[in-house]
Amino acid sequence: MMNKSRTLNIALAFMAVIWVSPFAWLLSTAVDPIATGQLRFPKELGLNNFAQALTGESLLQLWNSLFIAGGTATLTLVVASGSAYALSRLKIPGRNAFLWSLVLLRMLPPTGILVPIYFAAQSVGLLNNVGIIVALTVLNLPFAMLLLKNFFDTVPVELEEAAHVEGASLATILRRVVLPMSKAGLAVVWFFTFTSAWNEFLFPLLFSRTEDAFPMSMGLYSAFGRNGSIQYGFLAAFSIIYATPAVAVYFLLRRNMNTGFAGVGVKG
Amino acid sequence: MQKSGKSWVSPWLSGSVPVLIVAAIPALIFVGVLLYFTGWALMFSFTNLELYGRKATEWSFVGLDNYERLFTRRGFLESLWTTLNFTFFSAIIGQSILGFTLAAVLRNMYGGVRSVLEVSLMLGWLLPDIVAAFLWSATTSKTGLVNQLIVIPLGMEPVNFLNDYALPVVILANIWKGTAWSYLLYSAALDNVSKEVVEAAKVDGANAWQRTRRVILPIIKPHIGTNLLFITIWTFTYFPLIYALTGGGPGSKTEVLSIFLYKQSFGIGKLGYGSAISVAMLVIVGVMSLFYLRLLKEPE
Repeated sequence: MMNKSRTLNIALAFMAVIWVSPFAWLLSTAVDPIATGQLRFPKELGLNNFAQALTGESLLQLWNSLFIAGGTATLTLVVASGSAYALSRLKIPGRNAFLWSLVLLRMLPPTGILVPIYFAAQSVGLLNNVGIIVALTVLNLPFAMLLLKNFFDTVPVELEEAAHVEGASLATILRRVVLPMSKAGLAVVWFFTFTSAWNEFLFPLLFSRTEDAFPMSMGLYSAFGRNGSIQYGFLAAFSIIYATPAVAVYFLLRRNMNTGFAGVGVKG
Repeated sequence: MQKSGKSWVSPWLSGSVPVLIVAAIPALIFVGVLLYFTGWALMFSFTNLELYGRKATEWSFVGLDNYERLFTRRGFLESLWTTLNFTFFSAIIGQSILGFTLAAVLRNMYGGVRSVLEVSLMLGWLLPDIVAAFLWSATTSKTGLVNQLIVIPLGMEPVNFLNDYALPVVILANIWKGTAWSYLLYSAALDNVSKEVVEAAKVDGANAWQRTRRVILPIIKPHIGTNLLFITIWTFTYFPLIYALTGGGPGSKTEVLSIFLYKQSFGIGKLGYGSAISVAMLVIVGVMSLFYLRLLKEPE
């Protein structure tokens, strides 16, 4: 028995090493101003790499990424919430089947409709970052609609009716009753869409034609894909900056899901 | 709401129906575009549309030529085989079995090893694809971490892994990146297995393997089906990590279908043929999904 658990522990430790060492390498490289790609303790620590990754071209790429991700998340949220509220409140027959078939359609590979999307974007002159926002919104919408409809379903109609009886207009009810109670859901959808657009690579690869339009995914790709001298320190720092929002959103959302999801509904 | 029975709108909203419909219009347009594009992809696959040159504007219908080409020209079948290998080894063998084993082992453990493994699994999963590609490209290069720590100390010549072992590296990278999902799903599934049942099997003399095989696996079978459904579809159509790591190369050793599709459509510019490839991918994914859905529905 003793022997068995020792083997198990060795196997687990081995796995932990495999999983952790790329991160250890990334960190030690990022804080080493003269990194060479080898694993070692930096002779001197410095944040030069981070400073370099936050100036000039790379800063521009950060802005482009923020523009694409923020734009996609906001457009998706606005478009989806309008229809999701209607779908939640108007009991149109077949609405659930409709939503689920859309989500199923979206489960299919995005590469499947790549050619038409590209062709359409080309013919209306949207082969740029705005085009990426529109394309990603089209792809994200079904899932966002389904999620938001489920959220609006948990807002009790009784509260809205009560407000209506007391003379509140639709706008007031939406702002004062529905919005505060579905804040968590709206936040989940916004952040979820933001992260997926932030990580997106395929559409920037197709749509971003000039280097000053590159988001960070394309910036990183074109930098380490180049042969010759790779600036490991700079790229490691750049990677950490690029990965931070995606990782942070998860931990932010996890808390929000626990408090937010449970908190939605009639209290007391 | 039971009172209003069959009415399709709550009374308080009946005056606002036009407003709600107007609010839903933008979404309907976007959804319409999505459906329209899907139809378009289907139609393109019967044409000789190209990205550049004369056939970009003067394309014509060519019947089933593109589909015939899938089987008669080199490329598609080889790429399909690569994709099946990639999916089988990285998703089904790698992520799913490793994820299940980790979930089963770690649930009885507390402390250091468990939290380190959990956090690093999650980090791998949350990283943008291109960052993961950079990490794996840098650590498996000729001067990279693997050579420095393992190959050279063993007295061997440094290896350029992405050149010599491209497909295994890509498979490992995807296992490294994606196992967290299976781990999370199986952890949640194992929480649903009641301890009493497992204890009862133990009392009856079943060993750990028998308990897993005969008691636990049948109980979480629906979860296994769901998980396999998701990761198979994702992995089968996965693009960014592989493309950024190898670009499909060397040669076409890691050219999975999504990369083949990308290259045929936008590298060579054969949009019609590319559409046929994507339709073929949709069909294959659809068939695989049906297979898993039957696994889900099968009576116990």
